[in-house]
Amino acid sequence: MKYALSTLVGATALAISLIGGPAMAEDDGIIVYNAQHENLTKAWVEGFTKETGIKVTVRNGGDSDFSNQIVAEGAASPADVFLTENSPAMVLVETSGLFAPVDADTLAQVPQDYQPISGKWVGIAARSTVFAYNKTKLTADQLPKSMLDLADPSWKGRWAASPSGADFQAIVSALLQLKGEAATADWLKAMRTNFIAYKGNSTVMKAVNAGEIEGGVIYHYYYFGDQAKTGENSKNVELHYFKNQDPGAFVSISGGGVLASSKHPKEAQAFLKWVTGKGGQEILKTGDSFEYAVGKGAESNPKLVPLADLQAPKVDATTLNSKKVTDLMTAAGLL
Amino acid sequence: MQSAVDLAPSGLPSDTGRSTLRRTAPWIVIAAVFVSLLSLLPLAFIIWIAVQTGWETVSALVFRPRVGELLVNTGMLVLLAVPIAIVLSVALAWLTERSNLPGARLWSWLCVAPLAIPAFVHSYAWITMVPRLHGLWAGVLISVIAYFPFLYLTVSAALRRLDPALEDAAAALGLGPWRVFLRVVLPQLRLAICGGSLLVGLHLLAEYGLYVFIRFDTFTTAIVDQFQSTFNGPAANMLAGVLVSCCFVLLGIEVLVRGEERYARVGSGAARSQQRTRLGRATIPSLLLLLATTLLALGVPFVTIGRWLVAGGMEVWRFDEIGLALGQTLFLALAGALLATVAAMPMAWISIRAPGPLQRLLESCNYIVGSLPGVVIALALVTVTVRIALPLYQTLFTILVAYALMFLPRALVSLRASIAQAPVELERAASSLGRPPLNALWSTTIRLSAPGAAAGMALVALGIMNELTATQMLAPNGTRTLAMAFWSYSGEIDYASAAPYAFIMVAMSLPLTWLLYVQSKRMAGR
Amino acid sequence: MSFLEISGLHKHYGPVAALAGVDLSVVSGSRTAIVGPSGCGKTTLLRLIAGFEAPDQGRIALDGEVLANGGNAVPAHRRGIGVVAQDGALFPHLTIGDNIGFGISRGDDKRSERIVELAYIVGLDKAILKRRPHELSGGQQQRVALARAMAMKPRLMLLDEPFSALDTGLRASMRKAVAELLEAAGITTILVTHDQAEALSFASQVAVMRDGKFSQVDTPRELYLRPRDRMIAEFLGDAIILPAKISGGFANSPLGRIPVDTADNRDVARIMLRPEQIALKRTSREGMSGTPDMLFGEVTESEFGGSMCTIAVRLLNNADPPDAAAIGNTPLVLRKPGMDTPAVGEIVRLTVSGKAHVFA
Repeated sequence: MKYALSTLVGATALAISLIGGPAMAEDDGIIVYNAQHENLTKAWVEGFTKETGIKVTVRNGGDSDFSNQIVAEGAASPADVFLTENSPAMVLVETSGLFAPVDADTLAQVPQDYQPISGKWVGIAARSTVFAYNKTKLTADQLPKSMLDLADPSWKGRWAASPSGADFQAIVSALLQLKGEAATADWLKAMRTNFIAYKGNSTVMKAVNAGEIEGGVIYHYYYFGDQAKTGENSKNVELHYFKNQDPGAFVSISGGGVLASSKHPKEAQAFLKWVTGKGGQEILKTGDSFEYAVGKGAESNPKLVPLADLQAPKVDATTLNSKKVTDLMTAAGLL
Repeated sequence: MQSAVDLAPSGLPSDTGRSTLRRTAPWIVIAAVFVSLLSLLPLAFIIWIAVQTGWETVSALVFRPRVGELLVNTGMLVLLAVPIAIVLSVALAWLTERSNLPGARLWSWLCVAPLAIPAFVHSYAWITMVPRLHGLWAGVLISVIAYFPFLYLTVSAALRRLDPALEDAAAALGLGPWRVFLRVVLPQLRLAICGGSLLVGLHLLAEYGLYVFIRFDTFTTAIVDQFQSTFNGPAANMLAGVLVSCCFVLLGIEVLVRGEERYARVGSGAARSQQRTRLGRATIPSLLLLLATTLLALGVPFVTIGRWLVAGGMEVWRFDEIGLALGQTLFLALAGALLATVAAMPMAWISIRAPGPLQRLLESCNYIVGSLPGVVIALALVTVTVRIALPLYQTLFTILVAYALMFLPRALVSLRASIAQAPVELERAASSLGRPPLNALWSTTIRLSAPGAAAGMALVALGIMNELTATQMLAPNGTRTLAMAFWSYSGEIDYASAAPYAFIMVAMSLPLTWLLYVQSKRMAGR
Repeated sequence: MSFLEISGLHKHYGPVAALAGVDLSVVSGSRTAIVGPSGCGKTTLLRLIAGFEAPDQGRIALDGEVLANGGNAVPAHRRGIGVVAQDGALFPHLTIGDNIGFGISRGDDKRSERIVELAYIVGLDKAILKRRPHELSGGQQQRVALARAMAMKPRLMLLDEPFSALDTGLRASMRKAVAELLEAAGITTILVTHDQAEALSFASQVAVMRDGKFSQVDTPRELYLRPRDRMIAEFLGDAIILPAKISGGFANSPLGRIPVDTADNRDVARIMLRPEQIALKRTSREGMSGTPDMLFGEVTESEFGGSMCTIAVRLLNNADPPDAAAIGNTPLVLRKPGMDTPAVGEIVRLTVSGKAHVFA
């Protein structure tokens, strides 16, 4: 053991230079704060790097923690690009003035409906709210007509959601915009007594499939993703689209933006352009993400119910208020 | 595996080397004080945030039904799981240490081995076997299975140290074996049971992944939820404040129950070796108990991991991804262990060579901080770095500091034990041969305590390897440890892809757990 | 009327035989000491009697009741045998009072009364009852252990080297006190010790143990003066062992003609004298002349040792030495009272009192 300590120090130094150094402190290329599904962004990054040779380091996380984190980091944020699953996180960063304007040719690739007027960020994909239910437990006529019906005492203990996730919080933010603060607070309060909390939408669907619970409010693509794999967690699941401009028919826009503090703005803009362009949107159609493509002329996966048929409510993505939503949910005891 | 109080400070023999202290003191004392102050940072920040937030908001965030519900959940969990773990561990320890159970040595290792499986992997295994498992009782079941070895380790070590003459004396006074156990053996295990229960209780408070799988909300899961929704907002920090209070309550209860007693052997003379009780007809039920425990604590995880590995086939072995995660995990574990050990050194040295009020104060600081859940320390460090030292935010430095704070007590315990075995005379001899103080220290005590330091480092590394919450919150960009990768796959219900990571974590932890087992045997003098 | 009857007791630990056929019979109300060097098996014997372990072979019966017969053994807690261990084995987690009352049922209304009474009997102050064992001195701890064992009114009391951890002065007084106490209570007692003086002064019957067997069981006086062999003789105290020719009740030895305790005649024998049988008287070289039947010696060494001094005496003449060469140069080593010991170089006259013991 005579040289144990010095050997140890040496070994650690070696480890730093061999493994830790290059892997953890990537200095060339861009850093993406990714709240999207890891596999989707991985496919985007691979495609982008292959085409442009620009290296991309991804930090994975969630919408809310990243948006709050970027705000806290301010101008010193190491991030170049921020990708989300839902719009409220984008709004939070935008209102803090931390986004650089998105290049005009990138904006031009995406219809007006899927981007804010400010042009500070751009839609990269979209997802629809659904009520996933177990077809052995519920028949079509027993389904709720509106998401608001789930507040009814008859639904007590029968449905599930993942309230800590940004997805559900985005749905609540749409509800807030459509129905106002008082109605939203009431609905959340009723939800608190009625629903069963799970962590993660996949988990909700798995529970629905297993018959632990009759149905759950999630996004559509979890079902298609599982069907494309083994279907093990969705074979008893059916999707119910609320339609009729119901708050439960809300289509959430996933956003992408370039940070004003980016040290590689050119590369960052190029990445965003690639994601919203042909290559990136094609991955949405052919890949296993099953999110809706939003690029002009881009097609979504043919297995999906077309975006146009969803009768989604008109929601202004630029004013979705994430802070208010978490406050209301905290007050309702959901967080 | 987030909180890190290990075997409670034990009264080691000490040489009150006042003169040594005076000669070497300034640097070592300054270093020890610095480490202790740094370790108080998380606590200070929770208080600071509370003061800054203002009483009205604080009370609105603390005194609400949700907090009450979490308090009930967390409280019930501790109140149920800890007593069950005590009963189970005492029974297992007695069977493996004091009965003629066939294969006692093997069983005793099997009782420690579940520690090699991260708690969230236990949960992952159970949720695969019994998908509907959820709620309080599920939490109690898996918590007991994942954490009873901590109690088993301390109780079996204490059982080994008991003087069998006392049991003989009680038998001669007319007590049957069962009453001897209740009136003589059990009371003498009180310290060990207290220490082990505290350790288990603190781990229950700190655990995150285990409870997420089975949909059981505790303070720690709620803090992470808040963190994910609002980053380091006041709500998360106030929940952390309540959680810290819970830790203090546990520490306080332990001090009260333990009392001031020291059950040392009275009198001199070597203790005769212990006799093992003949189980007779109880052999089969006893074996069944051990078999059941082993099946639940080792069988379920191994079968599940195996099942998913088979189901996933070669496809789930994404070697580039796994290799990177393995490398990063090893690096973080090694660097964190090194930092924790170096940070523990001044404190360990003072506590052996120059014990006194200052040392006791500093040590209790470290002890308290070591008992804080990883999520609290991480939240504090996020807040500190974001608000005050942004350049340090999400750097290697910060995550390593967090690891060092969390696992300092582990390093401290091992170091103290080994420094106690390095005679102070050697240090003095080196000084008298003309070495300057620090040089003398380096060439004698530090060299001699290297094996102990290495053991301590291994234990810290074990903790870091399976750490999830703090790593997720603090790790530098691009970091993806084994635990993080496992967590991300299992979050998407891709249990097959998560399996290789679980497998590697367990495989790497097993040797370290073995080390822990051997060390506990050696500490008990065998 | 034998109270404790032990016969043919064997006990092995792996290949090591701790007991290799032990027989012992103890009279009711008596005190027996088992003495032997460490590792001779005496503690094993005690543990078998107490019931902490079962013998491989052999039988133990107490007051007619069979306690052990081979592997069938009554467990310790049903034997009613008190044990006081070497270091007291007090329960560290209980107060002194609770230690003493440990064997008394908690439902007993007279429990606390009994505790105080027992403490008084063993000479402990009442104030001590609330303290913890580690706050007591070694002697006090032993008293507590004794009181604790007496509380259950044992039929038989086993003392396992209870005085060995005590200071020399305390040891003798404790021994005396304990002996009197047990005598008064009428409790049959077995003491295990490696201290021969303790064994001799404590017991009415002493069993000398060696290699898992008793080599001699007798009264202390018999054992001391008539040991069966040289090893026993030397184990129990200093012994002067001399070659001699025995005839007509006398031995012809380097120390002259000494009466012996046997009527046999033997040409070659060994006799044993205890040093205290030899008296020294100062004289001078002049005083030696003309007294051929008297024995003289010269002091060659004198070591002061307080109350007792050790002196070595070289014989100057001897009557009819069978092998004078062997003994002539070896000085006799005697321990004598420290007052007025002869100095080196002085001439002394040696006289032998009492009979010499002839080894079989």
